[in-house]
Amino acid sequence: MKAPDFQYHRPTTVDEAIKLLTDAGDDGKVIAGGQSLVPLMNMRLAEPETLIDLTGVEELRSSRKTPTGARYGATTTHMMFEHELVPDVTRGLLPHAAAGIGYPAIRNRGTVGGSLAHSDSAAEWPTVMSALDAAVHARSARGTRTIPVRELLLGFFTTVLEADELITEVEVPSLTPTARWGMHKMCRKPGEFADSMAVARGEGNAHGSWQEVELWLGAATDRPLRLSGTEAAVHGKSSADLAPVRLVEPLAADIGQDLSAIDSTGRHALQLHAVTVHRALRAAERDDTA
Amino acid sequence: MNEITVRMKVNGRAHTARTAGRTTLADLLRDQLGLTGLHLGCEQGVCGACTVMVDGLPMRACLTLAGACEGSDVVTIEGLEGPDADRLRDAFSRHGALQCGFCTPGMLLSGHHLVCARQPLDREEVSVAMSGNICRCTGYNGIVSAVGEALERGIAAEEAATATWNDEE
Repeated sequence: MKAPDFQYHRPTTVDEAIKLLTDAGDDGKVIAGGQSLVPLMNMRLAEPETLIDLTGVEELRSSRKTPTGARYGATTTHMMFEHELVPDVTRGLLPHAAAGIGYPAIRNRGTVGGSLAHSDSAAEWPTVMSALDAAVHARSARGTRTIPVRELLLGFFTTVLEADELITEVEVPSLTPTARWGMHKMCRKPGEFADSMAVARGEGNAHGSWQEVELWLGAATDRPLRLSGTEAAVHGKSSADLAPVRLVEPLAADIGQDLSAIDSTGRHALQLHAVTVHRALRAAERDDTA
Repeated sequence: MNEITVRMKVNGRAHTARTAGRTTLADLLRDQLGLTGLHLGCEQGVCGACTVMVDGLPMRACLTLAGACEGSDVVTIEGLEGPDADRLRDAFSRHGALQCGFCTPGMLLSGHHLVCARQPLDREEVSVAMSGNICRCTGYNGIVSAVGEALERGIAAEEAATATWNDEE
């Protein structure tokens, strides 16, 4: 199918984009790479009256290191993270995550700001940026504000962004030199959306056990989920001490599922999440044996 | 209709087109410029049959708005030329890497980008790199073999050229 007709604008500055967005009101929509929005428009699940294309705004494509991390222009493409054409302050997590998004042709257009604004919990950036405690800088005619990604995402295709607000930058804090991270994405074919996706980060002790651990899970609910209960189960242990099946119970509690009431499909999904979290932990421990 | 004007270079020729704001690059190329080599399969970015090069990178023409290509340099299968394209076409034909041909233009564009990159890839890596292009006939073996071989021949040709050049020094 084809997208319904819309007014198309391609501003060249952020100021111009914000003016167009303000004028468009509730019927305006921002497009960057369009790798999620164009399919939605082609299927007529999204029918904006006015589309403001950010691909012509050069200032949204620049990135720089800061004393505490890095700030990436909102329209930095996944490909630029993958091939480290922008600085990496996460010891490889950002390039690793980017390389798993869709296919090369998708990564060449899709953007980090667009993915966060789209808010699909089965996509890479929402979970990874939540795990890294990244923040977005948003601008509107009313001013600018900084929103932690953990507060930005409200659910499927829903964020705290107002209709006249634009993400201009994504700020990622540096990982410390001793921090370890692991990520695992479970999907049937390379490039597909995840059936489950987990990021583990934290610090290990001299024996390789988790001293501090933070676990994030994507694709389980309508937004990335912090797994506090599972973290407690992992604390002081390493993945070798824990079979994935032992993570099922705390995971169910973290996701908010009643183990005694779920059907076989739900049980299978839980098992999948447990294996995914376990593999993320194992991946994070890879340097201990190196 | 909300009309826009788009200027772009397609296969080396400059074009100025008037079209609707909603027009994708794929529809502009097929319907207005008559370049029907790229195919529209799914129109949601999954099948890869519409893959073209925009400013040197493979992209989905079905998920790229024509307006976003203002000032861009676009190459479609009709304009895919040069030694790497010849190697790839030759390898596709010898490996039987196509049957009905619907996916082939997209396969060649994605494959061409890999061959040009000169980065050695094993069979598994070629499969992953080509996973954004779906073929419903061949079962992929021929395609993966053809892309892998064209890549190897591209690398070998470059090494041979460098050796000759060094000898002449």
